Order: sequence, then C-alpha cells, then structure tokens
Amino acid sequence: MTDLAERRGVETEVYQPAEDSALLASVAEDAVESGDRVLEVGTGSGWVAERVATETGADVVASDVNPHATRQARDRGVAAVRADLVAPFRDGAFDVVLFNPPYLPEDAAAARDDWMETALTGGEDGRAVVDPFVESVSRVLAADGYVLVLVSSLTGVDEVVELAGECGFSAVALREESYPFETLSVLKLVPA
Amino acid sequence: MKESLMDVLCCPMDKSELELEVDERADDEEVLAGTLVCSECGERYPIEDGIPNLLPPDMRDDVPA
Repeated sequence: MTDLAERRGVETEVYQPAEDSALLASVAEDAVESGDRVLEVGTGSGWVAERVATETGADVVASDVNPHATRQARDRGVAAVRADLVAPFRDGAFDVVLFNPPYLPEDAAAARDDWMETALTGGEDGRAVVDPFVESVSRVLAADGYVLVLVSSLTGVDEVVELAGECGFSAVALREESYPFETLSVLKLVPA
Repeated sequence: MKESLMDVLCCPMDKSELELEVDERADDEEVLAGTLVCSECGERYPIEDGIPNLLPPDMRDDVPA
C-alpha cells in the first residue's frame, strides 16, 4: 500500500535538510577549525557534512546506516561510510563528531517501517539512538576532541545531559532555538 | 572511497585494522569497488559504488527496503 507521503511524491528514503540541520551546521561552522578531522554520524542527505567541509576546509567523513543516505552524501562529494553509529571508526580518529539523531518519540499509530521512520524516530522516549551514541562516542575522539549533538525538548535535554555526565562528559548548550512545538539545542560534550 | 579513508576505519566488530582489496578504481584513483577484510577476524566488508559498507554482518539485511 502506498502511503500519503509516497502518493504526494514526498521524499520517503532520506531525511532532507530542515531547521535542525541548519542549526547544527551553523554551530559546527563556527566551532570547527580547518585542520580538524570531523565525523558526521547519521548524515542523511549529507548537507551538514558538505556545508562544514566547504565553510571550514576541515576533512569531513559522513556515516549513515541508510544506503540511500550514503549515496546522496557521496553525490555531494562527501566521503561516505555505511555504519552503525561510530562502530567502524578508529580509536581517537576525530577532533569533532557531529550528530543530529533521530529524536521523535515513536508514534505507534503512525509507524511507517521505512527509511524515513529510521531517520526520524528515536524509539518510545526518543532517545533509542542518541543514548547508544553518547555511550560509545568517546572512543573515537582525539585528545581535546568534542561532540556537537542536536537535542530537542521533545527528546528531553536534561536526560541527555545526565547520561552524558554518566559517560564522563561535561555538557554545555552552545545554541538554542525555539519553534512552535519544540526547542532545539546544540550540546557540546567534552570529555571531563 | 579515497584510500586515505583507511586511516580512520577499523573492523566494527573487534576494532582491528582492515586490509583493502581493490576490484575497480576511478580515473582519480578513488576505489569504486572492492572489499575491506579484517586482519583479525577475517570478516569481509564490501565497497560498492565507492561506498564501504561497514555495518556489522547481522545488520546488513535487517533494515527497511
């Protein structure tokens, strides 16, 4: 059965850049330096990775679990790797890791079981993907490396900050923007 | 993928080094097709259309179409 999104010709395979992407890209452009090696996890269309590479001159690698996403990212000229979060990256490889995770709490009634759902939903509480990311990311950070992660008020910023603390990070919000249904924050996680 | 990407990649299972087997290169030397082989566990990860697939074997098929 084709659903409404497909009948209307809306993209169903790869999340396209939106307000959250723009916010993460803007913060990352200010923070990243030209000599940095950067990983963007869950790159989707590759738009954030491309912008950071273009604006800063940094060496940017992009990963996604979705093969349609890695193809779009590669078509933008970004080095793309199909990966589960940071699993296939070496210890200490990156100065900066960026992530705009799927964060919407799951709505069982609207479940679609396609790649767009993978891109949008973070399980029952919205944290099913960001939690394992926070728990595993420190391994791939270089000395003085840090993480920029986008978190929505729908996901629970306090909960993510608390988990980051348990995983040995200090967390600070670099930027916040309010929208009608949510507030988006970019958190900087630094190994304490 | 450019060969320099090897500097940041490892086996997703045991984090050991990977060895690159090249089947096809582009004019600019970029690797278009080949295999990344774990030097420790021997697991093989395909490179197709210039993109290495480093998902753990049990995740390769466990995904939407």
